[in-house]
Amino acid sequence: MTRVQRGRGGWVSSSRGMVGARVAVMLCAILAIAGCSSKKAAAVNAPGPGSPLGENNQNGSSLSQFQNGSLGSGANGPLNDIHFGYNDYTIQPQDGDVLRSNAKWLGDHPQSRVQVEGHCDERGSEDYNIALGAKRAQAAKDYLVTLGVSPGRVSTISYGKELPLCTDSDESCWAQNRRDHFAVSQ
Amino acid sequence: MRRRKINRIMSVRAALTSYSRLPLIIACAALIAANVGAPARAQPIKMYIQGPGSQLSAISLSGLKDLGGDSDHTLSSEFVGTVRRDLELSGYFRIIDPHAYIEDPQNSGYELGQFNFADWRSINSDFLVKGAIKIDGRAVQLTALLYDVAQQRRMMGKGFTGSAADVPRMARRFADAVLESTTGQKGPFDCKLGFVSTRDGRFKEVYTQSIDGQDLFRLTDNPTINLFPSWDHSAHYLLYLSYKSMEPALYLADLQAKRETRVMSARGRVIGGAISPDGQRIVAAVEHAGTTNLFMLTRDGEELAQLTDTSGINVSPAFSPDGSKIAFTSDRSGTPQIYVMPSGGGAPKRITYSGDYNTTPAFSPSGDRIAYQSRRGRFDIFVIPASGGDPSQLTDSEGSNEYPSWSPDGRYIAFSSTRSGRSRIYVLMVTNQKIIGPLTEGKGDDTCPAWSWWLGE
Repeated sequence: MTRVQRGRGGWVSSSRGMVGARVAVMLCAILAIAGCSSKKAAAVNAPGPGSPLGENNQNGSSLSQFQNGSLGSGANGPLNDIHFGYNDYTIQPQDGDVLRSNAKWLGDHPQSRVQVEGHCDERGSEDYNIALGAKRAQAAKDYLVTLGVSPGRVSTISYGKELPLCTDSDESCWAQNRRDHFAVSQ
Repeated sequence: MRRRKINRIMSVRAALTSYSRLPLIIACAALIAANVGAPARAQPIKMYIQGPGSQLSAISLSGLKDLGGDSDHTLSSEFVGTVRRDLELSGYFRIIDPHAYIEDPQNSGYELGQFNFADWRSINSDFLVKGAIKIDGRAVQLTALLYDVAQQRRMMGKGFTGSAADVPRMARRFADAVLESTTGQKGPFDCKLGFVSTRDGRFKEVYTQSIDGQDLFRLTDNPTINLFPSWDHSAHYLLYLSYKSMEPALYLADLQAKRETRVMSARGRVIGGAISPDGQRIVAAVEHAGTTNLFMLTRDGEELAQLTDTSGINVSPAFSPDGSKIAFTSDRSGTPQIYVMPSGGGAPKRITYSGDYNTTPAFSPSGDRIAYQSRRGRFDIFVIPASGGDPSQLTDSEGSNEYPSWSPDGRYIAFSSTRSGRSRIYVLMVTNQKIIGPLTEGKGDDTCPAWSWWLGE
């Protein structure tokens, strides 16, 4: 017999951290434009209602899409994904056009902000892939900035290999999953 | 999570007069044997099982004699069932089918001289566990003893008091003592297993359970992503990574106080980490502008030291058992490889050179070896001297074998494997690469095992 104890009744949660308050202030300052939601510590178990981008995101983060079951349904938002080689985070030549197109859209929509999400395929370990996804997200952010997008409008996040679009174990599927996704908010 | 106190009864000389009552007094085996006039030993004492292998020792687990309150044998069954599961998981024993047992434990005694060893020798039992239980109101008194059948001698005995809910822990502690008596080294079953599972839906949540699969406890309940549980030695704290605030962050759960804190770094976003054995420090992988480096923090999140400073990836940190070293994964050579460095900072030493994807290092409890996963198509578990040297492959390339976590006695490594389809947690015997398990069951995938230290008194 397995007894499951549901945890968390009466748990107390707080945000500690080195200079937690100062960091929060700094982050909010940096991300003020990005609408820093100061929900970090509030959520013990329930996640925020949407992504940190706020309520007005046009396609939502991949995590919120995963939560509501729409991840991979094609609701991709106005910007297109770019893709990467295995264990690689360099922007591929053929994705230059995608990034230029994404930068142009952002230029045409000056009120919009974007969170670049780095994703990985299922090979590799979870923890290494989170770091690899961060590299991929940063690579696209840097590229957008060189194209004239203000760095303050572009945030990054990595989901590692946790949010695949496709779950088959073959190269065509892995290639789809090794991506940067651009979640737009206004 | 409660940790009930189980009081072990004082170990003193046996009172052979207390046949009819629960003998609360457990003696060392030699004294008892002498007192009851065990047969003279002509042959050398078979003291230790010499290494697990194809030759399993046969053990019989007799029911506990009811000395009042357990007439339906519920607690006896719970105790014996847990001991059975633990001894099976140990890889040293073959449990003789109870249907073969000749003696009825209720009609015989459990102390030396009160039962007939011939009943157990005739079914080819090398070892025998007997005992007794008495329930008085809410108090449970339980005695269990281990006998060497061939030598007709008592090897070990333990007495426990507690409540009915403590009986499984009594069983685990007794099983650990059986291993100590028979192999010379205490067993690792009075411990917790932390792990990640999708058993309750699509979302990876953190759970704990006993090694033998009981006391399942769901720590997190947020529909996001939760990963990488790690314990301090007291099992007071469990550190894990969660996306519950919609971005990755480390959370330190104080399981006794039921408090949780988010561990932050001014250096950037915390994407992984581990807690030190003494529970005082956290080594965190902190990402900033795409670069991930390791920082040593206090449990409260104050920065003590920057450990790595490369423009690439430094992740998967693990403390050595004495807290003096950190093993981690870095891509500084161009591929993910394992490095070791002092936990206060200093020059890292590259440990792995074989294979182009080595990660998730874990120090053995004695600190002399590091287990890790290496990708050869899929992953297998390897072990390598902590100072560097030749790696040995431990798993058999069935499925993908990931996330090694040592048992505190150093004989076993828990790991996740897809060998039977879904990812499950298995146990590997390090000495002979025997694979035991799975330890987990259910609908989802189970990953990221973390074997705690012994739970203590």
